[in-house]
Amino acid sequence: MHALLEVKDVTKSYFENGKEFKVLDLVRFDLAERDFVCVVGPSGCGKSTLLRIIVGLDKPTSGAVLFEGEPIRADNPQVAMVFQSFALFPWLTVQQNVEIGLEAKGTPPEERHRIARKFIDAVGLTGFEDAFPRELSGGMKQRVGIARALAIEPLLLCMDEPFSSLDPLTAQNLRDEILQLWANPDLPPKAVLMVTHAIEEAVYLADRVIVLSSRPGRMIAELQIDLPRPRNRKEPEFYGWVDEIYSLIV
Amino acid sequence: MRGLRRWLRYVAGVLILAGLVVAIAFPQAALNAIQLPLFAVFSTTRMVVAYLLSLVFAIAYGHTAATNKRAAVVLLPVLDVLQSIPILGFFPAALVFFVATFHGHPIGIELAVVFLIFTSMSWNMAFGVYESLTTIPQDLEAAAASFGLRGWLRFRHLAFPAAIPKLVYNSILSWTNGWFFLVASEIFTAGGTEFKRPGLGAFIAVAGRNGDAASIAIGIGVLAAVVLTLDIFLWRPLSAYSERFRMETVTGREIPRVPSPYERFRWLPRLPRLRQWTLARLQPVAARSHRMSLQFERAYSGHPKVIKEVRRIDLALFLIVFVLVVSTGLIGLAQMFLRPLPLSAALLPTAAFLSFSRLLLAYGIALAWTIPVAAFIGESERASRYLTPAFELFGSLPATALLPVIVGFALLVTASFGDAAQLAAVLIALFSMQWYLLFNLIAGVRSIPDDLKEAARSFGLRGRAYWRRLLLPAIAPSLLTGSITAWGAGWNALIVSEYTQYANRPFEVPGLGSLLNHAVFDPVPDSEMLLLTILTMIVVVLAMNKLLWRPLFRRASQRFRLEV
Ligand SMILES: Nc1ncnc2c1ncn2[C@@H]1O[C@H](COP(=O)(O)OP(=O)(O)OP(=O)(O)O)[C@@H](O)[C@H]1O
Ligand SMILES: [Mg+2]
Repeated sequence: MHALLEVKDVTKSYFENGKEFKVLDLVRFDLAERDFVCVVGPSGCGKSTLLRIIVGLDKPTSGAVLFEGEPIRADNPQVAMVFQSFALFPWLTVQQNVEIGLEAKGTPPEERHRIARKFIDAVGLTGFEDAFPRELSGGMKQRVGIARALAIEPLLLCMDEPFSSLDPLTAQNLRDEILQLWANPDLPPKAVLMVTHAIEEAVYLADRVIVLSSRPGRMIAELQIDLPRPRNRKEPEFYGWVDEIYSLIV
Repeated sequence: MRGLRRWLRYVAGVLILAGLVVAIAFPQAALNAIQLPLFAVFSTTRMVVAYLLSLVFAIAYGHTAATNKRAAVVLLPVLDVLQSIPILGFFPAALVFFVATFHGHPIGIELAVVFLIFTSMSWNMAFGVYESLTTIPQDLEAAAASFGLRGWLRFRHLAFPAAIPKLVYNSILSWTNGWFFLVASEIFTAGGTEFKRPGLGAFIAVAGRNGDAASIAIGIGVLAAVVLTLDIFLWRPLSAYSERFRMETVTGREIPRVPSPYERFRWLPRLPRLRQWTLARLQPVAARSHRMSLQFERAYSGHPKVIKEVRRIDLALFLIVFVLVVSTGLIGLAQMFLRPLPLSAALLPTAAFLSFSRLLLAYGIALAWTIPVAAFIGESERASRYLTPAFELFGSLPATALLPVIVGFALLVTASFGDAAQLAAVLIALFSMQWYLLFNLIAGVRSIPDDLKEAARSFGLRGRAYWRRLLLPAIAPSLLTGSITAWGAGWNALIVSEYTQYANRPFEVPGLGSLLNHAVFDPVPDSEMLLLTILTMIVVVLAMNKLLWRPLFRRASQRFRLEV
């Protein structure tokens, strides 16, 4: 039996003027169904690079990423991605943006509309189907990004600092919504992998936190956060975790 | 909107009145002018055909260069060179080719004209497509890939929309460019034979040759009306529509658009439907090919080797064709240089120097007036509102059409015939060059953030200090962009500026342009000189680009960039 996702000794180097420039060094971890994993690390340590490799947008210099035992492919519909910059198509409406993955899969139009509506409702954007991205606030845009990712009903949802360009209140609301979606067995995704540099955010969301060192990114620790949910940021145990991760990174 | 309609009514009124006056005062000219609407239709049709060809070509070329790394190795340098060399120099050669192929049949000449306009339009547009596709934000590219957008779907939802703003912007430039070449190419004499196709350009040129002032005025008036109409009803709405496809930047302010009285039109909302309709028509075809390529991939996905082989064969075919084309060209060149050079080749260096000096003079004059005017227009909302449309209209009139007016003017103000020819040559170059400078400079002045201007004022920067510390550095990049385009246009203008006919007398000044004219249009064409002259021109232009403009541009864009 395979884990859902296996990251096997991923190393990534860039070459500039013939000089090797290592960004990731032997990163390895597994991710099972029902996991919520956060990767934290200082800025520039290669978190985004790692995520791009995991979803198949980039190739590792050595090592491999397996999804359900097979090498990952970028267009695998079981894996969906949410971006820090939202990455919505500015010329498509909310509805069309959400349908994009389904269209690529070849889902017939009626079904596409129905599924898209369902997820637009699920992220609370009912009534904005025909709006263009530029007419939406940052929080609403990221909701579209999430709905778009969920619409292809992925097993694994990957997110790269999805809330870091939002105001704190909006970000907190969206975090809770992601947790709800993840906990809901009727709705995708089954597992979440999220990259962030906000340690509190990682402790609030994740079952497991993977800590990377500064460049080149090596795994310093893999911590099981066993706090009960819903978590409370004011509790001493919560702060205990946050402090521990801080001390690991600094 | 109401203001606009009133404005249009005034223009129409003035035009009709002018038409009546002309018709009464010059009955003969009016009689000639009766065919003009038909000529306008002919000329516009040529433009449209060439434009559509350019559009298809530009999208295919730009898309391939941006997405296929191996093809890009060849496509990009070709684009770079062809973009900066004076195409008009090739016209005679193309003409001889088309006329010979069709045995002098009018179709051949029509094709030659369309081909010339096509070459003047397409590179700039192809470059726009390439540039937009390579500047798609990385995340958007990643989103498209991770949601499985490939082939036609990727083109339809990502590449094509992303290219629209630049494509429209460059189309407008190309269109203006096209008029220049259309007018220059509708009538010409080669090897003692005159070739002429009915059209506005030919009409104006004939009127100029006969020194018929009334017909010249009518011809230019009709041309201006056509240019203006297309601008109002096609290009303005299109460019307003293309705003929708601009990438949003997370931070950064909007660069203020040139305000125009004709911003929105009521039929504009129909455009998206038109686009949907076209795409929907294309959809089944594309879907079928998409399905077929998917099937192909699925069928052979068990055999990745086969796919690799297919790719290799593709590449090999491409390389073979490329090598063949390049080697025949090189062999031809070598053959030419192995034979002794023609005697007249000794004229080339002097001719190049003379042409260059003339362009330099025109460039100096253009700089002297466009910088202050651009500063004034860019800083004052009101000046901009009224002056910009006027300048835009004037600027979109091709210098080739103004040729008779310019030569007539030169004859008026100078004492001798030779002086008139010299003055006319410089003026034609000036009219070809100055607008590129002006419009780029206006955009440059506008892109200075208001904060920076206010900061400068609040620290007491005034007069010369204000110019030296803020204005000139801030417009340096746009000054360079404008200069590069202006010189490009100037080299192109040589062939018409150094040799023209007015009132049945040839106006000629020594230079590369007149050498080129003689090589082709003399009763005995001299293809060796033709080739040598074109080569000289290309060498000078490329040397200037590589040794002067590029390094300057790089330095300016590093030092003077306005960070957002
Ligand atoms: N295509 C590339 N070529 C060369 N270097 C690159 C490339 N992409 C990323 N890098 C380098 O790799 C390092 C890691 O980048 P990455 O974006 O993965 O970091 P990150 O941890 O996501 O940082 P941040 O917290 O700022 O998002 C950086 O130093 C970056 O400069
Ligand atoms: Mg990052």
